[in-house]
Amino acid sequence: MCSNSGGIIKKISSSLEKKEFSCTEITEKYIDNINKSDLNAFVNVCEEEALNIAKKIDEKINSGEKLSLLEGIPMSVKDNISTNGIETTCASNILKGYKPIYDATVWSKLKENGAVLLGKTNMDEFAMGSACETSCYGRAKNPHNKDYVTGGSSGGAAASVAGNLSAYSIGSDTGGSVRQPASFCGVVGLKPTYGSVSRYGLIAYGSSLDQIGPIAKTSEDASIVFDCMCGYDSHDSTSAKVDYKNTFEHLNDDIKGFKIGIPNQYYDGIDSEIKSSLEEAMKKYESMGASIEYFDFPEVKSALPVYYILACAEATSNLSRYDGIRYGYRTEKYSDINEMICKTRSRGFGDEVKRRILLGNYVLSSGYYDAYYKKAQSLRSVIINAFDETFSKYDAILTPTSPVSAFEANRKYSSPEEIYLADICTVPVNIAGVPAISLPCGFDSKNLPIGMQLIGPKFSEYKILNLAHQYEVFTQYENNKCLQMGVIL
Amino acid sequence: MITREEMENIANLSKLYLSEDDFEKMSKEMDGIINFVNQINTLNDQYNLENNSNSNADINKNVLREDEIVDSFPRNEILKNVDGGKDGFFYVKKFM
Repeated sequence: MCSNSGGIIKKISSSLEKKEFSCTEITEKYIDNINKSDLNAFVNVCEEEALNIAKKIDEKINSGEKLSLLEGIPMSVKDNISTNGIETTCASNILKGYKPIYDATVWSKLKENGAVLLGKTNMDEFAMGSACETSCYGRAKNPHNKDYVTGGSSGGAAASVAGNLSAYSIGSDTGGSVRQPASFCGVVGLKPTYGSVSRYGLIAYGSSLDQIGPIAKTSEDASIVFDCMCGYDSHDSTSAKVDYKNTFEHLNDDIKGFKIGIPNQYYDGIDSEIKSSLEEAMKKYESMGASIEYFDFPEVKSALPVYYILACAEATSNLSRYDGIRYGYRTEKYSDINEMICKTRSRGFGDEVKRRILLGNYVLSSGYYDAYYKKAQSLRSVIINAFDETFSKYDAILTPTSPVSAFEANRKYSSPEEIYLADICTVPVNIAGVPAISLPCGFDSKNLPIGMQLIGPKFSEYKILNLAHQYEVFTQYENNKCLQMGVIL
Repeated sequence: MITREEMENIANLSKLYLSEDDFEKMSKEMDGIINFVNQINTLNDQYNLENNSNSNADINKNVLREDEIVDSFPRNEILKNVDGGKDGFFYVKKFM
């Protein structure tokens, strides 16, 4: 391993083994950080449960047993991932009080590996938003400047990692919800290949787009967590039965001769500071021996309308289950079943969720299905094929994660589609089902982080994590101020 | 422009009550979003997709598991989220 391999998972793990501090001590430290924090990153803190697990891990350490890498590492989980017996609300009033009776596969895998769950993180309601402002618990705040948004929807997860409130966090990404907040908060976010991480227990938004991914301080940390999360699961019929490569073993592969494509269309109209920061990153990759080549990728221009049609259509269907009968909120006064369902939904859902349900029903309704849904599906194929073709020429493509850095909170928009434009760099990846990682590559003049995105072909997580890690090593994390903030004890 | 009638229809399909103010606000916003997604018409023409609507067929395969009997969740566990339900069932007020 390289001397500056970075990341805090290995550091904490090694300190636990050397007994520099106990698992209880570090868990208490994180909980103390959370309780003192005003970032609103958590919607539910599991202090008692966390300390119970920590105690068991300390007993294991004291008995001389060896720990696995993730064992005893305090972490957090987005509030749309089911945790048995722990309230899971998707930051929506309609699910207040709902306690799942089973664990999401991704959480049970991490739990088996000794993860210490500190709590559930804030998010846009049902993951619908790009600023973490549609949460029923109020917005999460960006640790780099609390007047600015965290990005979304996994805003609480990104803020919790950047603000040292958890070592790593698990988010979900339907159109950029892991990568964009990671970019805004100056941390690393990985959206894995569709089908590589089980969605069982992830409360669905757009089922053909949703994917669970880690948010971490560095690519090395993201790699360790991803290797634990991925794999086939019979509970998810879209789960892929493939040979999953261990990404951690490939972090230090030589990237000499790698071909990195730069799609012109991603750089149209982006903030000039972001553009120059990305150009710096390209130069660094060239110094490391990779080749950089610009190319045209006009198909990505179709991604946003396709995304909003398909995501809303799927959301409409997925969110029809919230009727107040089996869990969550139910209105008290009603005269018939239809009134009960309508009142429950009208009071339980926030405006953005209602907007997307209405749009979804519009594009699926009689007379419009062919005009919208079917056409969007056809265009989806065009985008998928364009990515396939791109990856016959390049190992990876490099783009900004977002055309802007974090923006001020409570900004007034002239229209919802103005907000949707912020997702322009991230949604094509979900439409094509390919993996992508966002990592910090600098700061703008407002001292807010800038993120770059590396996209690879399906199941190439080991390659994009390798590229990301090599960049971090090469720059010695010079831009990663979050990492320099350091943690703990 | 989305008509009042269309808006009422989709609100009904969505099982959502909209206030008068909501109707006005949401109709206006929906118009904007629909206008935005209407780009797909020109894009479809551009990629000549008229007769190609089923091109996702190769990835849209049914994935079925073997028809084996497996344990499900215990009824009392499931009913915990509605304070135990009533007589082992989900309970709603009589409405007929």
